[in-house]
Amino acid sequence: MTTLPTDAAVVTPPATTQARPTKKPRPAGTTAWYVTALFICSVMIVPLLWMITIGLKSRTAVFDIPPKLLPHEFTWSNFIKGPEVIHFPRLLLNSTIITALSVVGGVMTAMMAGYALARLRFPGRKLWFYLFVGSMLLPGVVGLIPLFQLYKSIGWYDSWLPLIVPAFLGGNPLFIFLARQYFLAIPYSIDEAAKIDGAGHFRIFTQVMLPLTRPAWITMSILAFQASWNDFLNPLVYLYSSDKWPLSVGMASFISPFAGKTPDWSYYMATNLLYMLPPLIVFFAAQRYFIQGLGALGSTNQK
Amino acid sequence: MSRASRNTMSRNAGSDVKAAYLFIAPAIIGFTVFVVYPLIRSFYLALTKYNGLTDPVFVGLGNFRRLFTVDPAFWPSLRATGYLVVLYVPLSLVLGLALAMFCNQRFAGVRVVRTLAYLPVVLPAIATITLWKFILDPQVGLLNTILQRLHLPTSLWLQSSQMSMPSVVLVMLWGVGGTMIIFLAALQAVPTELYEAARVDGAGSASVFFRITLPMISPIMLLQVILQTTAALQTFNQPKILTNGGPGFSTNVLMLSIYNNGFPNLGRIPQLGYASAQVWVLFVIIIAVIALTAKFTSLWTYSDNTPD
Repeated sequence: MTTLPTDAAVVTPPATTQARPTKKPRPAGTTAWYVTALFICSVMIVPLLWMITIGLKSRTAVFDIPPKLLPHEFTWSNFIKGPEVIHFPRLLLNSTIITALSVVGGVMTAMMAGYALARLRFPGRKLWFYLFVGSMLLPGVVGLIPLFQLYKSIGWYDSWLPLIVPAFLGGNPLFIFLARQYFLAIPYSIDEAAKIDGAGHFRIFTQVMLPLTRPAWITMSILAFQASWNDFLNPLVYLYSSDKWPLSVGMASFISPFAGKTPDWSYYMATNLLYMLPPLIVFFAAQRYFIQGLGALGSTNQK
Repeated sequence: MSRASRNTMSRNAGSDVKAAYLFIAPAIIGFTVFVVYPLIRSFYLALTKYNGLTDPVFVGLGNFRRLFTVDPAFWPSLRATGYLVVLYVPLSLVLGLALAMFCNQRFAGVRVVRTLAYLPVVLPAIATITLWKFILDPQVGLLNTILQRLHLPTSLWLQSSQMSMPSVVLVMLWGVGGTMIIFLAALQAVPTELYEAARVDGAGSASVFFRITLPMISPIMLLQVILQTTAALQTFNQPKILTNGGPGFSTNVLMLSIYNNGFPNLGRIPQLGYASAQVWVLFVIIIAVIALTAKFTSLWTYSDNTPD
């Protein structure tokens, strides 16, 4: 434990001394703030820049001792050969299919359940709400072994179905909760007006409610995208053949030591950058929904 | 819910019931198949000897007896899990809150800091973990390279049994932006009048923090304690990829042990019953943590009792 406490020590003091958020900053405080900000930013960004430099180094230069921070010749071919060796295009395709389907399924069924729980009156409404919310507390690992055996017995083992079908069956109770909270905030006079116009529940849901709840389902889609794109344990357990693997399992298997062979880090890091790109694009395109979604989580829990 | 809406709802009660159950049918099926069934089945399997090929054989509490008295790997894995939680949760909360307060100020460029701090959370977990595995490489990794240039002591990180768990936690803490962003939302919900009143009364920053900020965000703090602790108890990706449990048993957390017993490498027989027993130990710990946190914190969390 020689180095860990240092970043704690650097980050904490400004936070306590500048606790008041709405004050004109004093010049001394300003300098301290920017120095700390620079430190935080470099902690976050330097590892990523270093990853890119590794991706540009030749495979022998990676193991130079002492290590050089910058490559002296740029091996751009790593960005072609790396993905080829790791079978990146196929993994990307697999990940895209799995993620797209589970996002659609998860968001759709959660929105439907949220609509019923928030806006329709039926016996058992409270009970189902508490059951769904309660199941948020259930750790995913409890289901792992029984479900693995279940999938095996119905021939779903080594297929994408265990990764996709649960999403279509209300997969994430957090989404049901978020959807219900959002639906509760919409004035009921809107349903009433639609009903007077003769619209059924299906039409109210698809044509009135879905446009009104756009922020909610965009937020959920992002969360679902992240969850599926990042999922490692489930595909690791349910998929055996490497040609069905998503990126998470495929990438991890490339660097796990196999038969005493050192993994090719420059190939790996070049490909890793490509692996990071889709979530990065989603993040920068829909940044406000990231913040909004978690803010909603914060404010609903504060009540 | 307003009175008007109640009337509307009861008027259409008949058609609502059918529609409602159609709308939540997928969720109900999912709840039955993916929550109720596994819960019961896993409890039963925990009481059996089961290799996944032949039928499970009921052994009562035999698995638990073996766990607590015979298995040389169980207590170390429980200790490793506890060590991880004790290191990670407080650090994540303190750093997350500190970062949130740091980013909750009016400086030009604060958005950049906030975005960059949240960036590691956005990146795929496997991508960042594998990146850190190489950063922590003792010979050619970035961290030792930097430490050497600054003439600071270096370490074997993941390869030393003393530093392996702190290194795993260090990798997890790179994602502290996730904790930060929830605290940030909580901080922004604190009414600014409170701070202004405190300033008029001449309160110092320390007392503002302990008397206003902390009490006002205490419900979120409770949520964070529960979220972070349960997540930390279920840590799998980091130890699996960074160390695979080693060196020795130093990072062999409970989840990894469950995985290795239930889904071993080719050639070894899966012990699904035994792994289920471990799952239930973990499950009981998680429930206990949630219950205890909720019980203890009901004394000190601030709750707004005014009607909505």
